[in-house]
Amino acid sequence: MKQLLEFIVKALVDEPDQVEVRQLEAERSVILELRVASGDMGKVIGKQGRIAKAIRAVIGAAAVKDNKRVMVEIVK
Amino acid sequence: MKEAEATGRTAQEAVDKALSSLGIKPENADIDIISEPGQGLFSFISGKNARVVVKVRYEPAQYLQHFLKGVLERMGVEGKVALSEDEEKIYASVNGKQTGVLIGRRGKTLNELQYLANTVLRRQFEGFHKIVVVDVENYRARREQTLTKLAYSIARKVSKEGHEQALEPMTPQERRIIHLALQEHDEVITYSRGEEPYRKVIIAPR
Repeated sequence: MKQLLEFIVKALVDEPDQVEVRQLEAERSVILELRVASGDMGKVIGKQGRIAKAIRAVIGAAAVKDNKRVMVEIVK
Repeated sequence: MKEAEATGRTAQEAVDKALSSLGIKPENADIDIISEPGQGLFSFISGKNARVVVKVRYEPAQYLQHFLKGVLERMGVEGKVALSEDEEKIYASVNGKQTGVLIGRRGKTLNELQYLANTVLRRQFEGFHKIVVVDVENYRARREQTLTKLAYSIARKVSKEGHEQALEPMTPQERRIIHLALQEHDEVITYSRGEEPYRKVIIAPR
């Protein structure tokens, strides 16, 4: 899931080398902490969170396959 | 088109850096070695480092294929991505094993993936204006059939009972299918109500 998130986000941003994902695992859930260059924040969130919503939906589908709950947190 | 410049102690190291910063594999890139370590006209500026420029090589359709394959691979879904393209659209058709996870409930995942694909192509290619349609196992065609049947059966009910009925929220593409199916209908009219993403079609007596 970490790789999936990195792959998608790198395709969206201007500075792919600044993309960083930390995966924190709990028993039945996973938290993915996403960091991008400050100028790229808007590029992963989108107007009214539209892009973040799409990212979460696709990551969420991958998590269903792994039988887990996943949360994507975009951190500053 | 996107490109990255990088330096390294060896040309290979610089290339690797540039590739990973673009998030692509070597076979998908055009690699230009500007200077080998300690060589070249500007070595007195660049010092002992190698300098390279790596460019993303794709045309939009190939890039789309690469993007979708990359997503499939990282979701652990085995599938093939077939492409077709015309003046207005690039159509990507995914077929394989366990692809249902890509469709999701009522096509939600598929629609979000399609939205991402459109966004990514517009980011990667300046001036890209085509519409990207992503389909999985012919879901969109099947959904069109289902929605058309639904439209007819609700229309029958509305004309029999005489009061309007709202359908569930749908995407603009799905609403369009309903409107088109019933536009020539003698006894009902259709219109949409509400705000995205909850906008829905209303079927009402004419």
